[in-house]
Amino acid sequence: MSLELLTVAFFGALIFFLLLGLPLVFVLGGVSVVFLYFTWGPGAFFMVASQMWGSMGSFTLLAIPLFVFMAMVLERAGVAQSLYTMMHLWWGGVRGGLAIGTVGICAIFGAMCGISGAAVVTMGTIALPRMLERKYDKELALGCINAGGGFGILIPPSIIMILYSLITGTSVGKLFAAGVLPGLLLLVLISGYIAIRCRLQPHLGPALPPDERGTWSEKLVALRAVALPMLIVVMVLGSIMGGVATPTEAAALGVAGALFSAAVHRQLSWGMIREASLRTFRLTGMIVWILFAAHAFSSAYQGMGAQDLVQDLVSGIPGGPWATIILFQVVIFFMAMVLDPLGIMLITLPVFLPVVVAMGFDPVWFGILFIINMEIGYMTPPFGFNLFYLKGIVPPSIKMGDIYRSVVPYVAVMILAMAIVMVFPEIAIWLPGVLF
Amino acid sequence: QDTVRWRVQSHWPNASSSFSDSLERLKTTLETRTDGRFVLQLHEAGALFPAREIFSAVSRGVIEMGTISPAYIRDRVSVAGIASGLPFAFRNTWEAAYFHKNLGFEEMIRAEVAEHGVFYATDKVYPTEMVVKSPIESLADFESLKIRSSGALQEFLTEAGAAATYLPGPELYPALATGVVDGAHWGAVQGAKSMGLYEVAKYHVHPALNIAGTDAFVISQDALDALPEDLRDILLNALEEQFWFRTNEYTYKEQIALAAAKAEQGVQVTRLPDEVAQHLAAAATAAWEKEAEKSEMAAEALEKLKSFLADLGHIER
Amino acid sequence: MRVFSRYVEAVTALNNRIGHLSAFLVIPIFLLLLLEVGLRYLAGSPTVWTNELAQMLFGAYVLLAGGFLLANGGHANVDILHGRFRPRQRAAVDVFTSTLMFAFVGALLYFSSSMAWESVSRLEHSMSAWNPPVWPLRLLIPIATALLLLQGLAKLIVDLQVLFGRTPPQSAGTLSAEDAS
Ligand code: NA
Ligand code: NA
Repeated sequence: MSLELLTVAFFGALIFFLLLGLPLVFVLGGVSVVFLYFTWGPGAFFMVASQMWGSMGSFTLLAIPLFVFMAMVLERAGVAQSLYTMMHLWWGGVRGGLAIGTVGICAIFGAMCGISGAAVVTMGTIALPRMLERKYDKELALGCINAGGGFGILIPPSIIMILYSLITGTSVGKLFAAGVLPGLLLLVLISGYIAIRCRLQPHLGPALPPDERGTWSEKLVALRAVALPMLIVVMVLGSIMGGVATPTEAAALGVAGALFSAAVHRQLSWGMIREASLRTFRLTGMIVWILFAAHAFSSAYQGMGAQDLVQDLVSGIPGGPWATIILFQVVIFFMAMVLDPLGIMLITLPVFLPVVVAMGFDPVWFGILFIINMEIGYMTPPFGFNLFYLKGIVPPSIKMGDIYRSVVPYVAVMILAMAIVMVFPEIAIWLPGVLF
Repeated sequence: QDTVRWRVQSHWPNASSSFSDSLERLKTTLETRTDGRFVLQLHEAGALFPAREIFSAVSRGVIEMGTISPAYIRDRVSVAGIASGLPFAFRNTWEAAYFHKNLGFEEMIRAEVAEHGVFYATDKVYPTEMVVKSPIESLADFESLKIRSSGALQEFLTEAGAAATYLPGPELYPALATGVVDGAHWGAVQGAKSMGLYEVAKYHVHPALNIAGTDAFVISQDALDALPEDLRDILLNALEEQFWFRTNEYTYKEQIALAAAKAEQGVQVTRLPDEVAQHLAAAATAAWEKEAEKSEMAAEALEKLKSFLADLGHIER
Repeated sequence: MRVFSRYVEAVTALNNRIGHLSAFLVIPIFLLLLLEVGLRYLAGSPTVWTNELAQMLFGAYVLLAGGFLLANGGHANVDILHGRFRPRQRAAVDVFTSTLMFAFVGALLYFSSSMAWESVSRLEHSMSAWNPPVWPLRLLIPIATALLLLQGLAKLIVDLQVLFGRTPPQSAGTLSAEDAS
């Protein structure tokens, strides 16, 4: 069978079994095993077990249970509720204000954390119920968490950027610096989208009725709710920037801060810890088993010769440099619908980067486009990590269809952001030029 | 005639100079000399197997060939600890090359690795060197250092009094940038450059922590035996040439990379003060003896090494 | 027939018990990382063992979640069509798709056992500066996979019972009240 047909069958099988409702982990793992059997032989199954062992040893994944645990504690201790009550009192008059506030918190979280999954689960736990309670449209709310939850890989520190630099030889420091302004651009565009949408359709993000917006003294008292979350942000960010801890270790300081906050709220109890641990276990287990299977899936595709396919594709490109850059992004976009970011990087970058450099483009700038594209990939159906992580925490009343639909406008906004960075490369390369 | 295709899993990421200079070079050599009858399909680090699983995968015959560091097989091959580098043993790269090839050390590794159904060929010998954020001017400076290290060197640096800590590759750059650690080693100059370490640590430390055959090819013996005789000869000859070619080329590229790092990134080369160098040399001999305890063959290899170093006048016997 | 229902109950109870105990591992993981940061930053003496031990606990932690999650419907799926099926249709589809799950879990069980066997036979260590034995963790992969497989069989039994007109026990394939929080 030709590689093109094999590719269609491979991803076709993924989509078919996903639609039939088999859990993602078994779809990814099962499709890998079946295709490995026919293209390589049963000996290749060793790859599945051995990739699993590799993921178990990945230190950066330790941040996931810690950030999730932090979120569960903050949720159970009422810190999150106070924070959103405060936001509502202050932003109550602004339609969609809570969603915009949520995107802002996502950006702060993005600076505290180098990976995507932890932020999605954290914000899904803390922010989603608060927005739904206040009659926000569920798709608006789900989408803003999906989009904001991916900021972690664009705003430094970022594990994906470090992997990009390992594969391409680009400077990590320049990439980190280059991610800052595009990260802010995304924040502005997404907030702007929410603001405009809610202005036109007030029922999507209803404002607080004027008589409930509180007096100035109530507002000032409510500000106390910011103190504890701020303390945690200072502890985590401060420890990273101050050279106290690596981004992964800093997550442990976040947990310490959350437990302290719970104590201040007089909610620290054995029962609370027990419940928070159990929910953390469910989510972390779900996330990491998906990662296990996703690694096997992209390894299987690479074992089938994926890179040759990409190579052929590139050699057949007509048109000039800009057409090539755009086509690369289109290829990455479609791959990101069904593959995990690391797999996409390993398959495409060794082929794309030499072409990008030969055409005289800045690899740092291309890296930022690539990473925004990965961020989009985290939330494009059928398989995006953020979608499934969110599915793991939402109440049963929210279906995958809601989550899938919720991302559509946000994907459009992020493609717009990518186009802006494409047309105005300075947004990405100005800051690294100043710093390095 | 049929084309032979081998799957090769590398432990080098794509951006590592060795991925192209060593692996792609071998691929091209083989394709040229066999008129395209012998094709290596290269996979960069992590694509099919995690680095530390490559040896098992080759040993099981799941893939025909891989590249590894002998440090990954220290628990299976008793001389691998010596192969991956005893601290402060050789002073020049040629000495390590001579010890491997002319004094029969590589044959000792091969004999032990063969028990796992694997053929072993050293890619090159080269130094491992530290980069630090501020120069080491005294023993007290050294002992207050937080160094990112790994494996045997981490043990050695800890024994020698520094605060050696392990961080995985992706955590290294941010940790060094913010000062979680003050220094690190990742290969020598080219390695440090590929990880961006010179952006945040400007002092390159001489002498080397070790000089060793830190990169190697591993080939499934079954796959090797199954090759037509002419292909097998071409492969084995190419590997033998590769060692000398790459060792020499790597030495050259290190020097070029260092010159560029000095000129473009303001890197300075510092030498360890005598008191630190002597302190480390003393600590090193204790580390050597530990390796000798692993097996009779390891003891024999160390004996061979010590008499070689004594002949060179580096140590007293 | 009673024996099947007993099996389902027993396996589900086993995975639940294991899950409820493993869930607490997040606490030592947190404490170990905190300890390492403290020792390195405040005392200037990092250890060789804290982060690696935390890593090993993490490995065990996520492995043991596999069967527990299946017992509690915790592996995320796409419910666009699945949610609209009538119970019997759904059971039939699940029986069909479970072949793919068994292919994955079976392959994983076979090869992780062979990997674990190799590791145990040479009492594998991690080769880090601390160098702890890692064979118990390798051995845990086939054990956790077996727990997942047993739970998969339990789910298959329940689906077949639904398909052939019996009501499913509460515990398998649905969220138990305690975990629905
Ligand atoms: Na980040
Ligand atoms: Na996607």
